Amino acid sequence: MDLSQFFNFKEVIAQMASFIILLVILKLVFWPKMLKFLDERRARIAADFAKIEQAKEEISKIKNDYQAKLDNIDQAALAKIHEAIAEGRKITDEVRKSAHLEAQEIIENARLNIRHELTKAKEELKDKVIDLTIQVAEDIIREKLTQDQDRKLVREFLDKVDEA
Amino acid sequence: MIPEFPNFIGILSKFFPKNEFFKFLFEWENIVFSLIVIAIIVLFAWLGVRKMKIIPDRRQSFFESLAEGLDEFLKSLLGGSSRKYLPFLGTLFIYILLMNLIGLIPFMKSPTASLSTTFALAIIVFIYVQFTAIKELGLWGYLDHLAGRPRGVMAMIVVFPIFMLILHLITELIRPISLSMRLRGNIWGDDILLAVLAGFGAAGFPLLLVNMVIAVLTAVIQALVFCLLSAIYFALVLKQEHN
Repeated sequence: MDLSQFFNFKEVIAQMASFIILLVILKLVFWPKMLKFLDERRARIAADFAKIEQAKEEISKIKNDYQAKLDNIDQAALAKIHEAIAEGRKITDEVRKSAHLEAQEIIENARLNIRHELTKAKEELKDKVIDLTIQVAEDIIREKLTQDQDRKLVREFLDKVDEA
Repeated sequence: MIPEFPNFIGILSKFFPKNEFFKFLFEWENIVFSLIVIAIIVLFAWLGVRKMKIIPDRRQSFFESLAEGLDEFLKSLLGGSSRKYLPFLGTLFIYILLMNLIGLIPFMKSPTASLSTTFALAIIVFIYVQFTAIKELGLWGYLDHLAGRPRGVMAMIVVFPIFMLILHLITELIRPISLSMRLRGNIWGDDILLAVLAGFGAAGFPLLLVNMVIAVLTAVIQALVFCLLSAIYFALVLKQEHN
C-alpha cells in the first residue's frame, strides 16, 4: 500500500504550522479577552446577586420591624382607648357625684328657704291676727284697757292657740 | 475510482492545467482550505470580541456560549487547570469543526478528510501532552507514572513495571495514529457517501439531504471526540484530583 497517496510529510508540517499560527492569533486576540469578559461578568452577576440577597434581607428586616411597630401601635391604641374609657367613666362618676351633691345642696337650701318663708309667713300671720284681734278687741273694750295690756292679753291668747 | 465532490481548486486546475499557480494550489489544496478556515475563524474571533457589551447581542451571545460551553466542558474533565488548556483545546475544537463543516459547502473541501491534516493535529496534541507530562511530573516521574501501579513484590517489582512501561509507551505512540485515523476516516467516509448519493441524481436527493444532516452531526461529534480525547490525555498526565 502506497502511503504517499494518503500522507504527505510536507503537508503535515504546513498543517502544524497553520494550526500553531491560528493558536497564537486566537491566544492573542480571542481567548484572553473573551475569558476575562466572561469572568468579569460572572463576578458581577455574583456580586449583584449577593447585593440582591442583602437587600432582600434588609427589606425583610425592615418589614419585620414595621410589623412589630404596627403591632405596638395597635396595642398602644387599644391601651389608649381603654385609658380613655376609664377616664370617661371616672369623669362621669365625678360629674354624677358633683351633680348629686349640688342637687342635695339645692334641696337643702330650698328646704331652708321654705322653712324660713314658712316661719316668716307664720310671723306675718301672727302679726296680722294680732292686729286684727287687737282691732276687734279694741272696738269691744276700748274704754277699759291700755294698748300694752291689750297686746299682752292677745299674745297670751295666741300662745294658747299655738299650744292647742 | 473513489468518487469525490469537486472543489473549486480542483475545477480551476482541471480547466487550466498548464497554469502553475492553480497547479500549486491543487498540490496544497488541503492547506489552502485550512487557511480559508483559519481566515474565517480569525475574522469571526475578531468580530466576537469587538465592542463587547454587558447585555450581549446575538453575535456576542453566540461567541460567549461557545467559549463558556467549552470552558464548562473542559472544567468537567480537567478541573481547576482547565483554563490553562482551554485556548489550545478550544482552538483545536473550533478549527476541526469548521474544517469538517467546510466540506459540506458546494465546491469546498474538508481538509480533515486528509490524513496529513488530522495527523498533524494529532502530533501537536501528542507533543503538547508529552511536554505537559514531563513539565508536571518530571522525566523520571513521568516514566514512573508510565510504569504504573501497583508494583507487586519480588521479581514483579522490576518485571511488571518494565512491561507496563513498554506497554504505555506503545499506547502513547499509537494515540496520535488512532486519533488522526478516526477523524480522517469519519469525515472522508461522509464525503464519499455524499458524493456517491449525489451520483444517483434526483433519485438520491432525499437520501442526500438526510445524509447531509447526519454529516453535520458527524462533523460536530468528531470534533468533540478529538477534543475530548485530547483533554483526557491531558487529564491522565496531570497531577490533580481527577487522576
